[in-house]
Amino acid sequence: MSTPQMQANPQDRAPQDQEVQERAPQDRVVHQKHGVHQARDVRKENRLAFGLMALAALLALVLLCLPSYHFQATAYRKKSGNTFVGDERYEKALAEVQAVQEDYKSRGIDLTLSEEVTERTNSKGKTTSLVEFRLSNTYTKSALDFYGSGLASSWILQVILLAILLSLACAAAGLVHTIDEPWRSLSPRTASLRTASGLLALLATLMVPPFIMSNTFDLSRQVNLYTTGIQEEGKEIFYNKLDHFLFAGQAGDTIEDSLSGLKFTNSVWIWLVMACSFVMLVAAIQLRKGKIKPVLLRGLLYFFVIAICLFILYPYYVMTVTAFRTSAETNDMYFMHLFPTEWKLSNLKDILSQGVPRYLLNSLLIAGGATLVALICGIPAAYAISRMQFKGRKAFLGFVIMSQMFSPVVLLVGISQLMVTLGLNDSILGLILINAAFNQAFAIWLLRGTFLSISPEMEQAARIDGCSTMGSLWHVLLPMAAPGIVTTLIFVFINAWNEYTVATVLIKSASNRPITVGITQFSSFNMIEWHYLFAASLLATLPVVILFMTIEKHLTSGLTAGGVKG
Amino acid sequence: MQKSLRKYEPYLWLLPSLLLMAVFVVFPIAIVFKLSLSDISKSGVIGGFVGLKNFRDAISLPAFQTVMLNTLYWVLSVVGISTLLGFIIALMLNNKFRGRKLARAVLVFPWATSLVIQASVWNYIIKYEYGNLNNILLNLGIIKEAINWRSSYQIEFIWACFVGIFVTIPFVTFCVLSGLQSIDSSLYEAANIDGASYWQKLFRITLPMVRPSLTISTVLNIIYVFNSFPIIYTMTKGAPNNKTDTLITYLYMLNFYDRQKGPATALSVIGFIILCICAGAYMIFAMREEDN
Repeated sequence: MSTPQMQANPQDRAPQDQEVQERAPQDRVVHQKHGVHQARDVRKENRLAFGLMALAALLALVLLCLPSYHFQATAYRKKSGNTFVGDERYEKALAEVQAVQEDYKSRGIDLTLSEEVTERTNSKGKTTSLVEFRLSNTYTKSALDFYGSGLASSWILQVILLAILLSLACAAAGLVHTIDEPWRSLSPRTASLRTASGLLALLATLMVPPFIMSNTFDLSRQVNLYTTGIQEEGKEIFYNKLDHFLFAGQAGDTIEDSLSGLKFTNSVWIWLVMACSFVMLVAAIQLRKGKIKPVLLRGLLYFFVIAICLFILYPYYVMTVTAFRTSAETNDMYFMHLFPTEWKLSNLKDILSQGVPRYLLNSLLIAGGATLVALICGIPAAYAISRMQFKGRKAFLGFVIMSQMFSPVVLLVGISQLMVTLGLNDSILGLILINAAFNQAFAIWLLRGTFLSISPEMEQAARIDGCSTMGSLWHVLLPMAAPGIVTTLIFVFINAWNEYTVATVLIKSASNRPITVGITQFSSFNMIEWHYLFAASLLATLPVVILFMTIEKHLTSGLTAGGVKG
Repeated sequence: MQKSLRKYEPYLWLLPSLLLMAVFVVFPIAIVFKLSLSDISKSGVIGGFVGLKNFRDAISLPAFQTVMLNTLYWVLSVVGISTLLGFIIALMLNNKFRGRKLARAVLVFPWATSLVIQASVWNYIIKYEYGNLNNILLNLGIIKEAINWRSSYQIEFIWACFVGIFVTIPFVTFCVLSGLQSIDSSLYEAANIDGASYWQKLFRITLPMVRPSLTISTVLNIIYVFNSFPIIYTMTKGAPNNKTDTLITYLYMLNFYDRQKGPATALSVIGFIILCICAGAYMIFAMREEDN
């Protein structure tokens, strides 16, 4: 990140020196004074930045030491069914629990009593209520207590602590003797120390969420998985760690009882550690670059772009991963892995024997046919309105724009009626024609934009050489307009490939279904075979996404060039 | 003789296109209008002229008002939010940075995916019991307990809107990007010399210059979103009691499930007229641009 700047430094300095030498002596004094003034400014700002950094580091350490994790482990519980707060059964149960509490107290263990009321209204409108009393121990831990606990968060905490301290140390080392060096001409050693300081602060900032998240995971999800018996693997080691961490090794054999129903809260203050290390990052940037804003904006830009990309890809990740899972894994709410434990390619094999190849072929026929028809009808029309003057040109143009608006969906009733009349109901040909017709406007519009962007002189020259109109279109214009035509072609193809609504109305027989309708066979009212559904979806999505990416370059020029400017 | 034939040549070139559109676009329009004024039995037998009876029936349907309001919410929220977000993303992607091409390629994904598939995936993601969102959030330790993402039909409707926004953003972004790339950089240089701030440049140069692209994308989106069927159909099926239906899904249900063909055609015509108004506005705008 910093290398180009560092290499540039000596060059930056050289002309300045030359300049100084060339100047008259009296000028030189003025210049030096100016330099001294600048150095004082730099020193002041550097001191401020370093002070801020040290303060932030200190605050972060203090925050880590504060008691921010509160645990509630249940030692005794009593459920009382069909009980409402305040009634006879409630009083009786409460008295019983209080007796137990006294008993514990006499042994020197202080437990807090809490109750949880669950009310349910059944189908007959009758409300039942269940009261659960708990005698629980509360424990308070600071974030720093996780250090050495052996839990996953302990090594993350080590990284955070090291990063914060090293960042501060690097910044200090990068300031000793060089505190008034101007930013443009830092020596390589100083520059790399200050860069390292910034990077370490960034590391600390980024590691705070994993720390908090891994605590939440271990202390709620993981504990839950073990105590409910869903997972067994590694149970004893984990229990051991928690025993030492929470109960100082006192729980022993009763650890499972103590952990079941373990509740914890972490105070929001813990997030301030992230804010502190972010402040350190900002201060480090100030030390290194002198300017904060452009660097931060750049970082922010990358952050958002990456976040948006991840967000957009998320459903595709889900689709891909689910397509290769077993049915059991897709329906398992305790599934712990981000990827399938075993990539089941047999899902693909299964759906291929359930009509999917046929649907894909149908989709190919429909989309390919529609593209062909749309282009065969659209190219002459686009040619006419872009190259010829005639009465009604404007009206046709208006009609084209207007019909761009009519989606087949709102006219479904009419279309299905028409198709019955024409005998094209439940046929692939019918879908081809409908898709071609409703993409006609868009095709003409895009093609017209392409044709208009090509100067007519070449065709005129060809015409003079004795070429017919047809010939000049075929031999001259079309080859030149090839990129625009390909864009149009792919657009229409994708639109027709992805079309669902008309197909679901018109197509009745399974053998004529396109893939978009075909995939719905995997979801019935009571049971959805997600793994098959997404395996088929993957096959339906992949080709068009790749196709679309090939024309992505033309999208920006094609879209509005055809639409607006023409 | 030759000359008079030449006069008709352009129309010959237009003929295939006109024929195709006349049969498959104009004809269905005419059929829908005719049906909306005819008596239609439950089995689909078409009777005589009944005037506006179908329209009266349609308006007095119990769900009519909800459906119209839903359509309004659906169009406004999806188009409004996706235009805003798409615009912001386009501004970001218009910067020069490493991996810009990759980011743009990724952005194309939702646009190229069939809406049914997109909606199905989100359907799976937000399942309460085993959905991927809960699973991932739990595994990452972001939440402590599974969250019911679709606890009421209003929230389900909001999810449908969310998916609508998700798939609409790329179109807006690419429209705005094309507008942004056509801006002459000397305008910004001049503004920089005058010491204009970022916001001043945004509102005084960028926004006016991309306004045509924004208008086009907004109008087209209003029409696409109004006509959007698969998302709501896949995610909520209009349940419960058509409370999450929009006009399009409702008329589909009426016509093909409830066998109320009369009101369904009337709703088609109503939808068609609404679209015509939007289309008219768009056409006036496009023609004006054309003249410029």
